Amino acid sequence: MNRLLIVDDEENIRILYSAELKDEGYEVEAVSCISQALEKLAEKSFELVVLDIKLRNENGIELLQKIVKERHDMPVILCSAFSSYKDDFSAWLADSYVVKSGDLSELKQEIKRVLEKKAHRKATGF
Amino acid sequence: MECCWDKEIVAMGDCPNITEGDEDLLTSRSRRFLEKCCECERFYKDLDRFNASGHPLAPIFTVLHNDYRHQKIQIQSLVSFLDSKTLETRFLHELGTALQNSVDLDEVLSVALTAITAGKGFGMNRVFLLLADRERRLLYGHLAIGPRSPEEASQIWQEIASTDMDLRSMAHVFQQQKLHSERDKFQHILDKLQISFDDQEHIIVKAFENPHPVLVQDAFNNPRVTPEFARLLGVNSFMILPLVSRHRRIGAMIADNFITNNPITTDDLLSIETFSRAVAFAIERASLYEKLQEQVDELQTANHKLKEQQELLVRMEKMALVGRITSSVAHSIRNPLTVIGGFARNILKATSPDDSRHSFITSIVNETKQLESVLDEVLTYSDSIYPARDFWDPNQIIEAAANECQDRILLQDYSLKLHTNAELPQVWVDFRQVVYCIKTIILVNLDGLTRGTISISAAVVDNYVEIKIKDAGRNLSEDELEAMLTPFAETCQMGSGLSLALCRNMLDKQKIPFLVIAPPHGGVTYSLKLPTIKEKNHEQIIDS
Repeated sequence: MNRLLIVDDEENIRILYSAELKDEGYEVEAVSCISQALEKLAEKSFELVVLDIKLRNENGIELLQKIVKERHDMPVILCSAFSSYKDDFSAWLADSYVVKSGDLSELKQEIKRVLEKKAHRKATGF
Repeated sequence: MECCWDKEIVAMGDCPNITEGDEDLLTSRSRRFLEKCCECERFYKDLDRFNASGHPLAPIFTVLHNDYRHQKIQIQSLVSFLDSKTLETRFLHELGTALQNSVDLDEVLSVALTAITAGKGFGMNRVFLLLADRERRLLYGHLAIGPRSPEEASQIWQEIASTDMDLRSMAHVFQQQKLHSERDKFQHILDKLQISFDDQEHIIVKAFENPHPVLVQDAFNNPRVTPEFARLLGVNSFMILPLVSRHRRIGAMIADNFITNNPITTDDLLSIETFSRAVAFAIERASLYEKLQEQVDELQTANHKLKEQQELLVRMEKMALVGRITSSVAHSIRNPLTVIGGFARNILKATSPDDSRHSFITSIVNETKQLESVLDEVLTYSDSIYPARDFWDPNQIIEAAANECQDRILLQDYSLKLHTNAELPQVWVDFRQVVYCIKTIILVNLDGLTRGTISISAAVVDNYVEIKIKDAGRNLSEDELEAMLTPFAETCQMGSGLSLALCRNMLDKQKIPFLVIAPPHGGVTYSLKLPTIKEKNHEQIIDS
């Protein structure tokens, strides 16, 4: 079972995403800040991270940079309230970018696509 | 009596000296006597007879008659002198007015050269004008006027005689029609007229010691004139007019009578001296005005550029403000909507269609969906007010990127040379992204280097403006180049940003070709080609 890490400062979002993604068959863990996320990543292995950009006083992009630098094979999907995140071009480093919505279909599809891509890369080396 | 001096009235034909126009003298005996008889041969014969008669008053009368004639000649000479001085004063007045009213250097020079060569003026055949170059400390041939052959002289003087123009009109015609052709005509001589101020023995430099016009005669044998200089002018006699204004050497004029070989007199020198002072002052004033005008133009350009920068800042401030507002709105509304809509959908999945609450929950799902659509529309509209891509001045892009790197450049003792070009066309790009890319390229290139030079140039290549960022001091191996273009590669120092990989990604999305050229012998060049036409057309070109 693929284990996902959700990083979002909104508790209700964490609850919603956890419930919906568990229904999809994923094992889900959710945290609210960067330090908790780093702890979780050090503690367990995850297949993918769903990351919000604006985390109260923190910037999710910083976590994205750390993950890309230290864990090349860890895909990250940015899930943000911003329809077009232009303030930081670093967002372009993520594997995917999904705008938050009550309809989680797009997020679910992207998770599936990115995981399949990761699996393919693992299998073929490309 | 042979003469008519004793007759009160005479008829036409009685006196051989009275002709048409002198009719009033026929009846005026006293005037006829003073104006005609005193110079008449018949009267002299009568006077001889009077002297021979032995009358005691005869010798006295002869003395008075001779003195009268002498006085008359002197008065005529004075009148003639006064007439010529009046003409000269009028000419100098006309010249002064023309010079005072002009601040255009070419116009001043045209007036000066026309005045010295015009028949109404000083009537010299030919004149060369030398101007002072203070930086190079020399006098150089700037302009000349005059005929090269008697045939040409005859043609020019006939042309002038056929048109009764005043000095200013003649100078205007010269400036409009002959200034350049005359310069070309004498270019071979003007090119050789380069006299250093340090050449103290040269006759032109010596002329400045006592700045009055100098008359040079017997030039080919004159020890003060070098044989080369005499041969260059090709005349035996010429005058030098040092042009000095407030003790500053402005230039000099060399005038001669190359065609007529008329002698140049000391009177010519005296009358021309006043003229040369006025010309020197006018040339200096026109030169200063020209420099002032250049400064004004530079200031206007700088002012215009500043205004553009201000407009750019205001525009970017507005963009940033809109961005902040939309971000705030998005975060404040979208998160609650996501939670409400998400939970509603989650509950709906677990609610039977027969349940009376099913329709209520469906309504919540639909309403939140509707609100999300409205939010998307609002945000899309906000984005469209200030589209990311627009036409921008490539020079502004380069300067903005350079400004953002200035601190690092100084810190690493680097120099940044910008070769901007005001003639470049505008480019259709996302200003912020391209500035970010150029900044990143410079900063990535700077990593680990000190005391080098980065040059940025821009040039039009087909439908693009190609920006080249060059550093001759940076050496990149293939591995390093590969690492540079890979996100967060281990071998790449990332102290300054997110690597060139991200830039490449950004530029790709805007269809901006990006190349890094690192030849084995060293140096690196980054090339960005910014499209000069809108995306739609641009894509058509790329597709084709």
